[in-house]
Amino acid sequence: MAFNKKMAALGLAAAMTIVPLAGCGSNDNNEGASESPGASSASPSASASAPAGESASPSPSESAVKLTGDFEIQYFVGGYGDKWWKKVIADFAAANPDLNVKESGGPKINEQNKPRWIGGNPPDFVYIDGPNLNDRQMVEDGQLEDLTDWLKDAKNVDGDKILDILAQQPQQYDGKIYNIPLVLNSWGVFWDKALFKEKGYAEPTDFQSFLDVSEKIKADGITPYIHTGKYPYYINGSILYPAIVSNNNDDFTILQDMAANKVEAYQSPAVLAALNQIVEMRDKGLIDKASIQINHTDSQMMFLQHKDAFISNGLWLPNEMAKDVPEGFDFGFIPSITQKPGGKVVANTSTATVAVAKNGKNKEAAKAFLQFIFSKAQASQWAELSGAPSNIKGDISSSNAPNFVKDAARFLTDPNTVVIPTITFNADVDTEMQNATDALTIGKITPEEWVKRVTDVVAKVK
Amino acid sequence: MRSVSEKRQRYLFIAAFIVPTLVFFCVFTIYPVIQALYYSFFDWSGMSDTKEFIGIDNFKEMWNDPIVLRAVGNDYFLVAGKIVGIMILATFFAVALTRFNFKLAGFFRSIFFIPNVISVVVIGVLWNFIYNPQIGFLNAFLSLFTEEKVTITWLGFTSHTIWMLLPPAIWAGIGFYMILLIAAIQNIPESYYEAAELEGAGQWTQFRSITVPLIWEQMKVSIINIMMTTLNGSFVIVWIMTEGGPDNSTQVMGSYLYQMAFRQYHFGFAASIGVLILVLSLVTTVVMQRLLRHEAVELS
Repeated sequence: MAFNKKMAALGLAAAMTIVPLAGCGSNDNNEGASESPGASSASPSASASAPAGESASPSPSESAVKLTGDFEIQYFVGGYGDKWWKKVIADFAAANPDLNVKESGGPKINEQNKPRWIGGNPPDFVYIDGPNLNDRQMVEDGQLEDLTDWLKDAKNVDGDKILDILAQQPQQYDGKIYNIPLVLNSWGVFWDKALFKEKGYAEPTDFQSFLDVSEKIKADGITPYIHTGKYPYYINGSILYPAIVSNNNDDFTILQDMAANKVEAYQSPAVLAALNQIVEMRDKGLIDKASIQINHTDSQMMFLQHKDAFISNGLWLPNEMAKDVPEGFDFGFIPSITQKPGGKVVANTSTATVAVAKNGKNKEAAKAFLQFIFSKAQASQWAELSGAPSNIKGDISSSNAPNFVKDAARFLTDPNTVVIPTITFNADVDTEMQNATDALTIGKITPEEWVKRVTDVVAKVK
Repeated sequence: MRSVSEKRQRYLFIAAFIVPTLVFFCVFTIYPVIQALYYSFFDWSGMSDTKEFIGIDNFKEMWNDPIVLRAVGNDYFLVAGKIVGIMILATFFAVALTRFNFKLAGFFRSIFFIPNVISVVVIGVLWNFIYNPQIGFLNAFLSLFTEEKVTITWLGFTSHTIWMLLPPAIWAGIGFYMILLIAAIQNIPESYYEAAELEGAGQWTQFRSITVPLIWEQMKVSIINIMMTTLNGSFVIVWIMTEGGPDNSTQVMGSYLYQMAFRQYHFGFAASIGVLILVLSLVTTVVMQRLLRHEAVELS
């Protein structure tokens, strides 16, 4: 018996030593992937090449200034893939033979490079997308270079003024610009055109037509609308925020005021009216009850299987689910469904941005890279290689981009569409809005309580 | 002279066993704990290269945060639920598979142990499908007995959703403790039971008066182990199944720590939650040890 106990104790001890070892192993892997010493030669010539900033001269930049030293680019690889990054980095390196261009990209790069950002030794250039990287937080942490003055008259490699060719202007933080949107995507509501045609459903153009067709759909035994309650920013992004703008006479500055933590903005009647639209959807039984507990993939699968007719999502949906899309499925898309009859469509954009690290060693190269990627040629290339519209104005209709991307790009440039520019909320406020919306969709709270809960958090973070 | 070198050899021999473990322990346990304690006194986003010392403000804020309180409550709910559920079922299975001789005992022992071989992540995903309101097994099964299709959102109640995490947690835990108890029961000399039977004791009396007292030591270890692993590890199943939602109703300390550190960028606050987990685990362990101490019976 006593022997047994000893064995048990030994076994436990062994288990305890193995557990941390396992952690150690995976740590090693991470470090392996994220190595690449940034500390290396930020060669004096890099700072000597300061006039690179003026390479905004109309002539091609590489002839003006020679970029030298090391230059490192961090990019997250997600739904848009890395084909475009590989291509554009190779082109940039070819145009600047004396520059040692390094790339650290991957689906986990945000976490892998975190210690370097904390340690004040970040890559020079960063593409802000994916989990664990939040532009507003990076600005607040003082991690990003203030680009306000530089961008004012920065020109790209073709001599176009960068600000002029951006479809969506950069977000401002207290009047300053730190990051520039590269990808322009839109939240919205999808349906299957083929199904709608077959059953004779009318495609929604406003809230009333959405409600009407939903009743019809419901009568046929299909649940009208699904979203992912596990990630409530889907419903916030595609229903709530556009609804707030529609109810605010198509004026999106209310969202910018909300993002700037102005309590009055949250107490506006427009917010309440928008919340009441969600309540109406809920009370009419249009929202799939399953929504609250499922993740985005499950909600998308149910949508593709025609268990639900509408889904809140972003334009990346067809790409993301490419392998599971049933034959004959034809994606229909509208950026917003909450506008009044005859009202303007409101497109809540979802952008991914790029920025220069404040503690980067080669800011000149980083700025030159900005001038390189924000060119019209890259607009088509981005759309083709990543299957998403880019934030650079330019005609992509002749490119090989997928059809829905072209459609979306048309939508976003239509003068009758209210396009909400990039807005990033404070993470605490954002989380509270998500939780509160979830609670609202299952009838746990009222719209007034939603406002109260969120304004409490806003007041606190202020 | 000889004895000195012998002594030294002896120490060397002992050190050879202790030092490596101690080093690992210090590097991977003591150091992170001290680090966490250190960070808990700062206002730090987790990404910035600067942080601000704010004393015990994080702990004060924790005290005022209703979600922390709910998370602690949920954690202890899971601890209590798992202890009761796992101990009853594991003991029942262990006794059934050892005391009642039947042919398929070995087979069932393997079956019950299987969940232990499966990663908790897989278990979480599996139970997510069981609980899925539209295509889930549970609703499909219940629909067999009702006229209308059952569409209960098992993980989407406005409150008490945490109850739904208990079955997978218990199911995942039974196997290991069952094996532990089987080993203990098999160590009890058969003669005890024979004697009891001659005296006319039934199965229940045998269980109560022989089995339980003689495996109490293992039961105690099991209970304390369930408690510790739950307080430290309930994060996994919660994060896979609900991410603390809906509306924070299934948040446990571990998941709220993650949420705060990596979703809301309050690393200092998250570190203070980590300290809370450590303190509560230690205190609870000591309390449990005391509560369970007196009833141990040793087999001489």
